[in-house]
Amino acid sequence: MSAEATLTGGCQCGAVRYRAAKAVQYVICHCRMCQKSFGNYFAPLVVVEGLEWTRGEPGFFRSSNMARRGFCRDCGTPLCYLGEDGGYEVSAGSLDDPSFGEPEKQINVGAKLPVYDRLPDIPHHTNLQGEAAFNASVVTYQHPDHDTADWPLPKGGHDE
Amino acid sequence: MSDTNGFSGGCQCGAVRYHATELNDDAHICHCRMCQKAVAGPFISLVSVADEHLTWTRGTPAEFMSSGNTARGFCPQCGTPLYMRDLDGTKVFLTIGALDEPDRVPPKNQYGNESKRHWFAALHDLPGDETTTEADAPESAARIAATNHQHPDHDTETWP
Repeated sequence: MSAEATLTGGCQCGAVRYRAAKAVQYVICHCRMCQKSFGNYFAPLVVVEGLEWTRGEPGFFRSSNMARRGFCRDCGTPLCYLGEDGGYEVSAGSLDDPSFGEPEKQINVGAKLPVYDRLPDIPHHTNLQGEAAFNASVVTYQHPDHDTADWPLPKGGHDE
Repeated sequence: MSDTNGFSGGCQCGAVRYHATELNDDAHICHCRMCQKAVAGPFISLVSVADEHLTWTRGTPAEFMSSGNTARGFCPQCGTPLYMRDLDGTKVFLTIGALDEPDRVPPKNQYGNESKRHWFAALHDLPGDETTTEADAPESAARIAATNHQHPDHDTETWP
């Protein structure tokens, strides 16, 4: 893991942005608490040091006495796990560089969903032309994968 | 796919709950960057439900318009990603991890392979604990269990 790299990231809408000084370890956690908070099969978490919020601040849900879970109040993106010791783990998918690192280990494998081991073997969608046409038609309101001077972007926002 | 009990699910804190009388047979994962960011992970896992088969049984999700025609639903209290839907569609794609029983709907297809992480195929080869929090850290597990603020994986009459 590129321990000295400066790491930036944030939520889908861009209301909350962060910077971390150092990445320590990339872990996949299978516990049901992590599954639920990410709405997914597991939580991909990068243990970081020197985290600062550079735009906005997350909301926090105290999921137990051991942890607070940070998320964007405006778009819901899961952003971090804050342990009772004050240590932060950021969600790997919220990092600007989606190719950042690789998971190094799994924890709480006892709670692993059986489908996990089969995921890489799932067939690929074969209508690639249709998929490409759909993707080309998307007008994204997602914050770009880099820091920006101004926010919000000209378009996007909430369905209100 | 359906059974007599249908499918319930909701967010981590329990403020938003839903029930689907039946789900479509289209469970899948998507690797595209929009989906990655929405759930802050390497991919999203989704299964759709026709509008007429879905009831919000507690609370109301918030939505972020991630693109011109697509809304992403989440719990405004704890952030859990709950669904995506097209504004002109007649179905809602639920995040599988927010279902009370995620493993009842194994994914059958993969989309967005242009953004698939190169290590995805080796997911199940990651080194990991073969045990659980209960075995590794019984004191922590007991404290979490005693103060767990996550909604249980079944419908409840009242909450919290």
